[in-house]
Order: sequence, then structure tokens, then C-alpha cells
Amino acid sequence: MQAKFGDEVTDTNNSKSRVFAVGRAFAVLLAAMFMFSAPGNAQAADSDNSIIVSVQNQTNNNGVSEKKPVVGVKISVTDPAGIAVGEGVTDSVGSVTIPVPAKDDYVVTLDVASLPSGVTLIEGTKTVVNIVKDAFTTNAKRVTFFAGTSGESGASLMDRIAQRLVDGVRLGLIIAICSVGLSLIFGTTGLTNFAHGEMVTFGGLIAFWFNVLLGIPLLIAAPIVIALGGVLGLAMNGVIFAKLRKRGIGLISQLVVSVGLSIMLRNMYLYQFGGRTRPLDDFSLQVAKHFGPVSITMRDLSTTIISFIVLMGVAGYLQRSRTGKAIRAVSDNPSLASSTGIDTQKIIRIVWFAGGALAAMGGVFRGLDEQVGFEMGSGLIFLMFAGITLGGLGSAYGALVGGFLVGLLVELASLVVPAELKNAPALLILIIVLVVRPQGILGRKQRVG
Amino acid sequence: MDIIKIIENTIAAFFGIDAAYFALAAIGLNIQFGYTGLLNFGQSAFMACGAYGLGMTSQYFGVGMWWGILIGLALVVILGLLVGIPTLRLRADYLAIVTIATAEIVRLVVRSVRFKQYFGGSDGINSFSASFRNLSPFDPGAQYGIRPFQYSGYSLWTMIVGWSLVIIFSSLVYMLMKSPWGRVVKAIREDEDAVRSLGKNVYSYKMQSLIIGGVVGMFSGMIFALDRGSVQPDNYSRDVTFYVLTALVLGGVAKVRGSVIGPMMFWGLYVFSDNFLRELTKDKPFNLFGIGIIQKSQVGPVNYMLIGLGLMLLMTIRPQGVFGSKEEMALDGR
Repeated sequence: MQAKFGDEVTDTNNSKSRVFAVGRAFAVLLAAMFMFSAPGNAQAADSDNSIIVSVQNQTNNNGVSEKKPVVGVKISVTDPAGIAVGEGVTDSVGSVTIPVPAKDDYVVTLDVASLPSGVTLIEGTKTVVNIVKDAFTTNAKRVTFFAGTSGESGASLMDRIAQRLVDGVRLGLIIAICSVGLSLIFGTTGLTNFAHGEMVTFGGLIAFWFNVLLGIPLLIAAPIVIALGGVLGLAMNGVIFAKLRKRGIGLISQLVVSVGLSIMLRNMYLYQFGGRTRPLDDFSLQVAKHFGPVSITMRDLSTTIISFIVLMGVAGYLQRSRTGKAIRAVSDNPSLASSTGIDTQKIIRIVWFAGGALAAMGGVFRGLDEQVGFEMGSGLIFLMFAGITLGGLGSAYGALVGGFLVGLLVELASLVVPAELKNAPALLILIIVLVVRPQGILGRKQRVG
Repeated sequence: MDIIKIIENTIAAFFGIDAAYFALAAIGLNIQFGYTGLLNFGQSAFMACGAYGLGMTSQYFGVGMWWGILIGLALVVILGLLVGIPTLRLRADYLAIVTIATAEIVRLVVRSVRFKQYFGGSDGINSFSASFRNLSPFDPGAQYGIRPFQYSGYSLWTMIVGWSLVIIFSSLVYMLMKSPWGRVVKAIREDEDAVRSLGKNVYSYKMQSLIIGGVVGMFSGMIFALDRGSVQPDNYSRDVTFYVLTALVLGGVAKVRGSVIGPMMFWGLYVFSDNFLRELTKDKPFNLFGIGIIQKSQVGPVNYMLIGLGLMLLMTIRPQGVFGSKEEMALDGR
């Protein structure tokens, strides 16, 4: 639409063309947004203010915690003075949305008598929850009551470790896939790209769009999604970061620009997709199969195997192919590589394309693994940073090894620390690595300076 | 569309309590990022130190609220050492990654069920501000001032305290940066090796700068918590740091007046955009050429999209912001 602007970039008119560069980026993104806006528009029409209460029965099946919705539980909402505001009964997914007039203080009460027979709240769970005004970070405040027994019981320690190892391998492979691009982009351009998590989210959301809203089978949609992820990477580089590099804008500035990009994209996803997380259609309902002490769904087993093959492919490509060698050369020393006749800018474009495609693939896998939501990638970015720092910033293989180890660590940590804190040890490892061996496992010392 | 209301709210936002606590956070970040060149992406964690230091006093330790300042200071020092020791010797982006990761750990811990008895989980902590409330010379029920500057007694009290702190700390920073200490710190931003060759302990100066900036950030968190009367873990997410950074860049990095007026402009613009879009979508979704552009529930995301876009544009077109000078920006990484 505005293709004319970018082609006539001249150095005499610096700031003006800079406006165009970013303006154009926004125009392209806006266009992209409205492109996928058409069918999804009704999605965001959540009511103005509401309290969403969900009642879940948590059971432990061989160390795997499963949540089952509890249906038909009476929930009432009153104001602090005890005057009724609204009430409702949980539906088939164990959830009920009670509209409230404003973001204010409320008291949510669960009617214990309405719990189905045999279901009790977890010890220590209150039946009354007080909500204060500031707890409404969005228009909808979520409250969850947990029923059933808490804690992991029934499975022996070894069985639980085995299960966590399998889960950890799965998560580790996904993190590795997502962070290869992050590390290679850092290696080749020096940019610490805070918007990389949004590339992962992009993959998940576009997969959702194809699969759920358009009804295209995921197996057909996934390759398209991955290609689109690559195009997004190319666009980020071409429209924003290549322009910034060309003008000699410092790396810290570029980093802050990527922060702005991340905020913008994340809220674009929120704008379009709404705040809920949702599952993909295909392969979402699968029963776990048991292999000895370990249970895993065929879906997760397949994504694990595919991830492994892809990562081996990436490693082989970097090791053997001509382009792969060039990528490593640029990553090692951009100016030396360029003086040996390697087209650095071309290599950077390849890296952005591949990084975006791999991130989108990671997003699809993550969407299958968990659910799709506007924050799915930005939640992973910390683990990705931990992974590439552990492996060695800028080192191609470092991202593979580090990402894998971090995923493993996160799942194993949940044996020791509460599940809600399982990311914390990985982030602590990040700090410890920087004290002990700042260049990471595979990094070279000189990079750290 | 109620244009008068939009304008009134916008003008009020320039001087509101949100601008005050943002200004404090930005003054702190300015010491670290603007003057020393430390890319602290965890300012929200330092703010949380203040808020939780205050909240935990009455709730769990049973001591007076004023101990909260001491507890907060202790937490800030611990946090500063924790992120500073591994990263201050390394390149700037390492500090960015570690501070943002630490801020995330802090948020995870304070909102966790496991530590609920200390930090109140996702409900946060309420009812700790009584002794601050009692100090107020104003009648909490009454309304003071004339529109658009009309406040309840308690809001007026927090605003006066907040803006006084802004004035105190901005004057202190102004004097500090004129002092020998400030000159060393600015020299570190320009050329670390040169400063080292003059026999200065760069590492120690950076650490001091990180902690001093954190302490100012701590007061920001306290004012915010006192104004709301509650501490909520999700108010200290990483995005808060980024918004403070945006406000600082808007005003002008490495300038005292930039760090104060930037947040005022930031909140003025934010409230204007928010009020405008809400008025626009009040009755029905806003359409352009038959395409639904924005509806009520999308106002929030659109505001934040604009902040993100604003940050990108600022950094590319005018990185020195309104008051800054380009020479004073530490923007080279490698």
C-alpha cells in the first residue's frame, strides 16, 4: 500500500525516512491485523465488568494432575455490606460469569451444599473470597475454587521423576526451537530482541485462526503458519531493524525499540483475540497413554519427536551446509565474515526468516501443549533468555543445549517447588550462570566484555 | 462526546498521583539508565520492595507503618546486590535480562499461594495505611479544590506527599549529578575504561547508582500503595517498568526535568487517549467504512498499543525526548 515510501530512502532526509520506516511498519501490521480481524471480531465482546468463577476438581493420576470441571455449583457475589450483586451456577466447563456493575470490592461465596456428593474443597481453600477493587487488572476478575485432594500422591518418587523428565524434554525442545532464532539474531546483529516472544504467540494465534475459525486441519495449516512466521521475521528485520542498523542507531536503542514492538504486538493480539486462552480444535482431546510409569498423549509424543527432528535438522544445517557455515561465521565475527565476501545482510535476512519460522513452529507446539493466548510467547521469553544465556549468547548450538536444559530444569523443579514457582529456579540459574561462567556453556569468553 | 470532560480529565492527569509515582520511578531509573547507563528493566521490582515493605509491617510483623521504609530499604539493597553482583561487570544487555528476570521472580513469589501468609498471594495486602491516613490534616470525606483539580481529603494528602517527594528527590538528584560522584557516574556512562584508568572503582560506583535509583523507585512503590490503600502483585509486572521507561524517554533521558515532566506528559497523553476512546465507543462500537475498528472492551489494548508504538517512534525519531540532548545518551552496546 505504501510500498513507494521505503524504496526512496536517502541519507539526506534521515529523520523523515525514519518516520516512514516505522510508520510503514505500523501500516503493514495494521493491515495484517484487520486482515485477520474479519472473522474474529465478535470474540472480544466480553461484557464490561465481570467476575469469572471457576470450580475445578483436581485429581492426581499417576503424578499428572488433571483438572475436571465441577458442574452445578452455586456461586453468589455480594458487595462488602452483604447486599447481593449477582449469582450463578457453574456450567459444563465448571465456570460461571457473573456480571458486576463496576470494578469495586466484592465478596464471592461458594455454596458448599451445592457441591456434588463426593466432591470437597481442598483443605485450606476458603469458600469465601474477598475481591478488592484493584484486583481487577482487566475487566474480568477470575476466581478459582479447587476441589479434590491436593499434592502429588499415589506415585512413587521415581515415577514422578520419570514423568517430569518426559515433560521436561518436551518443554525443553519447544524452548530450544523458539530460542534458536533469538540467539542467532543476537549473534549476527547484536540485537537482544524482546519481541521474540511475540513471534511465538504469532504462530499460536495464526494456527488458532486457521484451525478453529477457518476450520482448516492443523496438519495443513501448520506449514503455512510456519512460513508466515518466517515472513513476520523478515518483516521485522526489513521494516524496522535493518533500517535502524543502516542509520547506525545503537544497540541499546534497538533493544528499547524491540521492547516497544513487543508491547505493541502483545496488545494487538489482546485487541484481536481477547484475554482468554483457548485450545486448538485438532488433537485437543486426547487421552494420555501409559508407558510404564510415564503417561503422555500421542499428540505430545508426536510434537516431541518432530521437535527433536527439527532441531537435529537445524544443527546439521548449521554444521554442514554452506549457508549454515556462513551463518556461524557472521555470528562469530560479522566484520571478518563480511570481509571474506559473505553477504552479511543476506545472512541476517536468512536468520530472521528462520528464527521467525522456528518461533512460529514453537508457538504451534506450545498451543497444542497448553492453550493459545495472547501472552503465551511473552511468558516463554524469560525461559528463552535463560536458555540462550546458559548456552552462550550468540552461539547457535548454545541455544539448542541451553533451551533444552532450561525446559528440563523447569519441569524437574516442580518436584521440589510449587508449580506456580517452577519458572523461578530457571531464572535463578540464569543469574548463577552469569556469576560463574558468563559466557555460558558454549559461548566464547571475548563476547562478554 | 463530552469534550469538556476529556479535557478536564487530561489536565488533571498531568498533576495526578499516577504522574507523581511514575515521576519517582522515572527519577530512579534516570539515575541508573540516564546518568550511569545501566539498563535496569526491573524497576518494578524495586517499586514492589517499597510497597511490600510497607504492606508487610502491619499485616505480618505487627510493627508501625514507618518500619516499612526500613524494611523496604533492606529489600532494595538485597535486590540491588542480587542483580548487580553478577551483571555489573558484564555488558548492558545482560543487566537488562537479569533485572527483568529478577523482577519476574519477585512477582511470582509475592503472588504465589505458598508465600501467601507473607505477601497475601494474588489478593495482595490491604489495610496497612492507617497511620499514614491519620497524619492527614484533611478531612478524608470532604472534597477539596475546584474541577478539574478536585480531590478527596485522602487523595489530596497522598498527592501532596507524592509531589513533595518528587521535588525532594529531583533536587537531590540535580545536586548529586553536579557533585564529583555525579561526574564519575556520567563518565562511566561515556567510557568505562577511561574511568577505570583514572583509578576509580567502576563496579562500586555502578552498584551505588543501581541501589540509589532503586531507593527512589522504592518510594514510588510506597506512594502508589498508599494511594490505592492496597498492594497488588500484578501492579508490579514488567510492563510497568517499560511504561516508566517510555515516560522517561519521552521527557528526556539524563535530564532531571525530563524525568519529572516526562511522566506528567505520559499520563496526560494516556488519559486523553483513554478518555477519548471510551467516549468514542460509549454507545456503540466505532466503525470506519463499515469495518469495526474498536469497541469498548478493546480500549485498554489500543491504549497500550499506542504506548508501544510511541516508544518505538521516540527511540527512532527523537531518542533524546523533549528535554534531553543527544550527546548524553548511552546507547552503544557492543
